[in-house]
Amino acid sequence: MNRGVEIRDLRKKFALVRWQGFRRCVKHVTAVDGITLDVPAGQCVAFIGPNGAGKSTTIKILTGILHPSSGEVKVLGFTPWSERRKLAQHVGAVFGQRSQLWYHLPPNDTFELIARIYGLERGLYQQTRDALVDRFALGPLMDTPVRKLSLGQRMRAEVAASLLHRPKVLFLDEPTIGLDAIARQELRDLVREWNAREGITVFLTSHDAGDIEHVAGRVVVINHGRVVVDGPVAEVRRRYVSTRILRAQFQDPPRAVDVPGCVMRSQSAYEWVMEIDVTVTPVQEAIARLVEAGPIADIAVEDPPLERVITRIYREHAP
Amino acid sequence: MRTGWLKSVSKYSWIGYTAARSEWAYSAANVSRIIFMATVLYVFMRLWSVVYEGAGVERLGGLTEKQMLWYLVATESIIMSMPRLWYEVDHEVRTGAVAVQLIRPLSYIGAHFGRSTGERLVRFAINLVMGSLIATLFAGPIAFSLSGLAMFAMVLPMAFIIDFFGAMLVGLCAFWLESTQGIALIYSRLMMLLGGLMVPLEVYPDSVQPILRALPFAAILNAPGRMLVAPTFALFVQCLGLQALCLVVYGFGVFALHRYALRRVFVNGG
Repeated sequence: MNRGVEIRDLRKKFALVRWQGFRRCVKHVTAVDGITLDVPAGQCVAFIGPNGAGKSTTIKILTGILHPSSGEVKVLGFTPWSERRKLAQHVGAVFGQRSQLWYHLPPNDTFELIARIYGLERGLYQQTRDALVDRFALGPLMDTPVRKLSLGQRMRAEVAASLLHRPKVLFLDEPTIGLDAIARQELRDLVREWNAREGITVFLTSHDAGDIEHVAGRVVVINHGRVVVDGPVAEVRRRYVSTRILRAQFQDPPRAVDVPGCVMRSQSAYEWVMEIDVTVTPVQEAIARLVEAGPIADIAVEDPPLERVITRIYREHAP
Repeated sequence: MRTGWLKSVSKYSWIGYTAARSEWAYSAANVSRIIFMATVLYVFMRLWSVVYEGAGVERLGGLTEKQMLWYLVATESIIMSMPRLWYEVDHEVRTGAVAVQLIRPLSYIGAHFGRSTGERLVRFAINLVMGSLIATLFAGPIAFSLSGLAMFAMVLPMAFIIDFFGAMLVGLCAFWLESTQGIALIYSRLMMLLGGLMVPLEVYPDSVQPILRALPFAAILNAPGRMLVAPTFALFVQCLGLQALCLVVYGFGVFALHRYALRRVFVNGG
C-alpha cells in the first residue's frame, strides 16, 4: 500500500524547568501520548483538536522540526527528524499566521527564490508556476508588492508558493484564518482541486469547521495527545450527533403537533425549523407528524452543523 | 559533490539577492537612516573639531581631523548597516515562526546569513555613499591609496561575518531566555564603546589599548575604520589575524549553540 504518512505509537514529552528560589523543578508535560495513524498518499485529512491538544506538536514532528520522545514516523518513507532536509524537498507548508512571502517584493520574487531554494529545474519550475498562476488567478498580482495585496490575495499567493516545488505532502495550518467568506471558500476550492489534480496528501489543521467540511474527506480529532475520533467527516458527524434538522414549509399555517424529542429552533407563519432526536423519534415518524400539522409545500432533512459535532467531541473527551 | 556545493552557494546567494532587493524597495527606512546618519556625523564632526582645537594638536591617535571624520564615516556606515538579526531570531523562536525556516531544505544559519548579508550590503552602500558626500562637503576628501582600499575591502567582509556571528549568538539565546533584548542592548553598547565607533582605539589610554584590540568588537569596527583612513601593512596583518581568530571562535560558538538549540525547539501555536 502506498502510504503518505505512517505514525506508530508516537509520544512526545516536554520537560518544563522552573526555578523556585534556588531549587530547580522539572515538570514533564505529555503533548503527544501514543498516536498511531496511517494516511494513504493523496488523502486529505483534517487534523483537529482543542488548543493544547497536541496537534501542532504532531505536525512539527511530521515535518522534522521536533524530535519525538518515542515512536516511529515515516513520511513518504523518510524519518522526519533524521532526514529533515531530504523530506523538506517533498513537503510544503502554509502557516496561516506566518508568511513566507517577502513583504516589500512582488510574489514573483518569492517564487523565484523558492525555485532556487528547492533547486527546481528551470523548465519544470516555469511550467508549475504558470499553472499555479493561472489556477490561483495570480496573474495581475505577480508584480504587485505583497504589502499592497489583500489578505485573500496574499493567502492565495502563499498557498501557490508552497505548491511550487510540487510537494507530495502539504501541511496547512489555519490557512483561512482572518479571511472573508468568499476568500475562504475560494481557497478551500483551490486546495481541494489541487489535492485531486496532483494527488498530494493534505494535512489540514483548522478551528474552522467549514475548512474541514469543504476540504477534508477524513477527520482525525486529537485531545490530550491521543486520537479520540478518526473517520470520514460525514460518518463522524452522524456518529456523534443523534439529531437532525427538519426544515418544513407549509401551504397553510400549520396546527400545533406534539413530536417527542423535538426542539423548535425557529418558527414563522409558514415555516418550522426543528431539531429532532432520532433516538426518540425517527425521521420518518417525525415527518408523518408534520404532515398532520398541515399540507407541506417543501421539506428538508439536514445534518447538524459540523461545528456542533466538534464541540460535542471536545466536551465528551474533556478531562 | 561539487554541484551540490555550487547549488548551496547559489541558493544562499539568491536569498541575499532577494534580501537586497527587498531592502532597496523599503525606501522609507533608507531615508530615515540617511537622515539619522547625517545628523550623527555632523554632531561628531563639530565635537571632534572642538577637541582638536582645544587640544591644540594636529593628530589624535595618529589621525588628522579630516581622517577622524572619514573614520567615523566608515564605522557609522558599518554599525548602521547591521540588520536587527538578533531581534529576528528572537522573534522567530518566541512566535514559532522558526518552523517556516526549518521546514525548508535550508540551513537556518545559512539562510539568515544570506538574508542579513543582502540587507547589509545595500544599507552599507547607501551609508557609505551618503557618509562620503557629507564628509567631502564638510571636511573635504582625504587621499586614498589603492593598496589601502584593497586592504579595507579584505577586512570589511570579515568584519561583517564576525558581526553576523555575534548577533546570531545573541539571537540564539532566545532558546533559553524569555527575551534577548537585555543581552542585545549590552552587546551593542559594548560594541559602540569598546569597538571604536566614535573614538578610535588609538585615542584610549595606552594601558587599555592591548585589551581593546584583542576584543572582537575591534575586529568589526576599528579594523576596517583604520584600514580606510590610515592603512599600514603591519596593521592589516594584525587586524586580519584578530579577525581570523574571532571568526573561528564566534563561528564555533554559533554552530555549537545552534546545534544544541535545535534540540530545545518547542513550537507553540496552531
